[in-house]
Amino acid sequence: MPLEQPILLTNIPTPPWGDFADRKTLSYADYTKAGGYAALEQAVGMAPKDILEVVKAAELRGRGGAGFPAGMKWSFLPPQDGGQRFLAINCDESEPATFKDQVLTEFDPHIVIEGIAICMIACQLDTAYYYIRGEYHHHREIFENAIREAYDNGVFGEGSRIGKVNDRWPNLYLQRGAGAYICGEETALLESLEGKRGWPRIKPPFPAVAGAFGRPTIINNVETLATVPPVLTHGADWFKSFGKGRPEGAPPNVPASFGTKLFGVSGPVKRPGVYEEHLGVTLKTLVEDYGQGMLPGKNYKAAFHGGISMGILDTDEYEAEMDFDIGKKYNNLGLGTACPTIIPHDVSMVAMARNCARFYSHESCGQCTPCREGGNWLYKILTRIEQGDGTMKDLDMLLEIASSMGSMPGTTICGLADGANWAVRTIVNKFWSEFEDAVSKERFVSISAVG
Amino acid sequence: MAWITKNSATMQIDRRDEPYLTAEIKADFEQRMFPRYPTKQACTIPLLHAIQDLHNWLPYQAIEEAAEFLELPASTVLDTATFYEEFFLEPRGRYTIWVCQSVSCEIMGHNKLVEKLSEKLGIGPHETTDDGRFTLMNVECIGACGGAPCALVNHKLHENLTADNVEQILDGLE
Repeated sequence: MPLEQPILLTNIPTPPWGDFADRKTLSYADYTKAGGYAALEQAVGMAPKDILEVVKAAELRGRGGAGFPAGMKWSFLPPQDGGQRFLAINCDESEPATFKDQVLTEFDPHIVIEGIAICMIACQLDTAYYYIRGEYHHHREIFENAIREAYDNGVFGEGSRIGKVNDRWPNLYLQRGAGAYICGEETALLESLEGKRGWPRIKPPFPAVAGAFGRPTIINNVETLATVPPVLTHGADWFKSFGKGRPEGAPPNVPASFGTKLFGVSGPVKRPGVYEEHLGVTLKTLVEDYGQGMLPGKNYKAAFHGGISMGILDTDEYEAEMDFDIGKKYNNLGLGTACPTIIPHDVSMVAMARNCARFYSHESCGQCTPCREGGNWLYKILTRIEQGDGTMKDLDMLLEIASSMGSMPGTTICGLADGANWAVRTIVNKFWSEFEDAVSKERFVSISAVG
Repeated sequence: MAWITKNSATMQIDRRDEPYLTAEIKADFEQRMFPRYPTKQACTIPLLHAIQDLHNWLPYQAIEEAAEFLELPASTVLDTATFYEEFFLEPRGRYTIWVCQSVSCEIMGHNKLVEKLSEKLGIGPHETTDDGRFTLMNVECIGACGGAPCALVNHKLHENLTADNVEQILDGLE
């Protein structure tokens, strides 16, 4: 059943309810007129614990990629000890194929700011940093302006209408990144925030206990926080009426896929863009109804369904349901950012794998050897195969290198190499014949003469 | 590649008398930025951005000045500066063209774009024209996949580029 009313994109014209061309930035006044900041008023009157309970009951899962339940993350915070506590908002959005957070930042910044303020009350965090990627110049200016409006209207700063949080006046600052994919990893983001190179930290300690500047810190994605105001206004049960529940027969500790999600459709479709739908919508619906089908002369072959790190959907997986179970069902890493990029029939999968490998070898921070060296080797081998110089042995080597790097095999600190691992492995496995065709089947016997 | 740094132990640093870190930037940081963070080091990236926005690149002298201002060793600031792709430790063109080369853009024809740009400017990726006007960069995803292929020219984003309209954009620049 298609979504009747958008939740996150209420104020951002989006087909089928509106037109992309009518999108414009909502000011504080426009947002308030449309019913904004009512959830914040409500939150001010509530005990922080009760807000947390609502978010927990709604089973809101993180929208940044990992899908970790937000309420549970918030509850990991230690009790207040008089020191500062931070919120870091992750708008680094550097995952290739992902462009959803920028829509919220550009057109409806106040829904994000409202979510930030509510989170600060619920978790008793006094200072928030909005970490936006360096390349979002236009978005940064808009958000900076929105923050100024929020200060002028008493949302933050001295004498804020939400009162003192953690015995301090709440503040929200914008922090500009400088072009490093790895800074989207939560602990690398904190290192970057502290003015260092973006090297992920070894966990534990987890950021909720010792994060930015060694203090308790919550890190959430932009979309996750933007979902908080509607959840608080309408309640957990309303939120759970959207999306998809648990798989049949699953125990209650299995996380479900409730709510709606932003889907950024790109590639050779007639109307690429960011849309909102129930979690669990099929890829086919996204492409054919929202994206209005493929461009003339292009046929669907495969899709990066949630950023390249999550791997790939095969040709016969066109009707895959886009929910948090997608990883288990279709043998990939997970839902990721839920921004599908469609690969048409005339694009070589070897080239796509090479593109992914180049990305990871370029963006590796260089701390862990399997990622720093492995990524480079994957890129070299795939370039060789693409140029027609590969052998069957190269394919085995690809899979062997790929499957040995990452935090899941336990060889790296963060998950960057897992992305390389899954991207390359799923592409090679699902399109084996294409790779086989690209390499030479000759067997070479090496003869070495000694002495 | 963020993790490759230059051997600076034996390097001669070009110096000039006028500081790169101006009094205005210093005053702005003391007033507005320092109170935002518990440590001065946290201002490293905003400060480097401020200097680079003014001078278009980061000379070593500027790194030293920034380090002194933030009460850090110069090596610490250099360490941070070399990690991030947006910081230029060498002079670059007045216009930097960042062409996205990630999956969506490759599918939608980023190759033709780079060919056209290289041909028109007479430089390859990661090079600067002799007249110091243009620097061409092949970069990973710039977050505008819906309008692929796309490129940033300095701070301005251009979407749905083709060999034709990219030429127009170049012609429109002084």
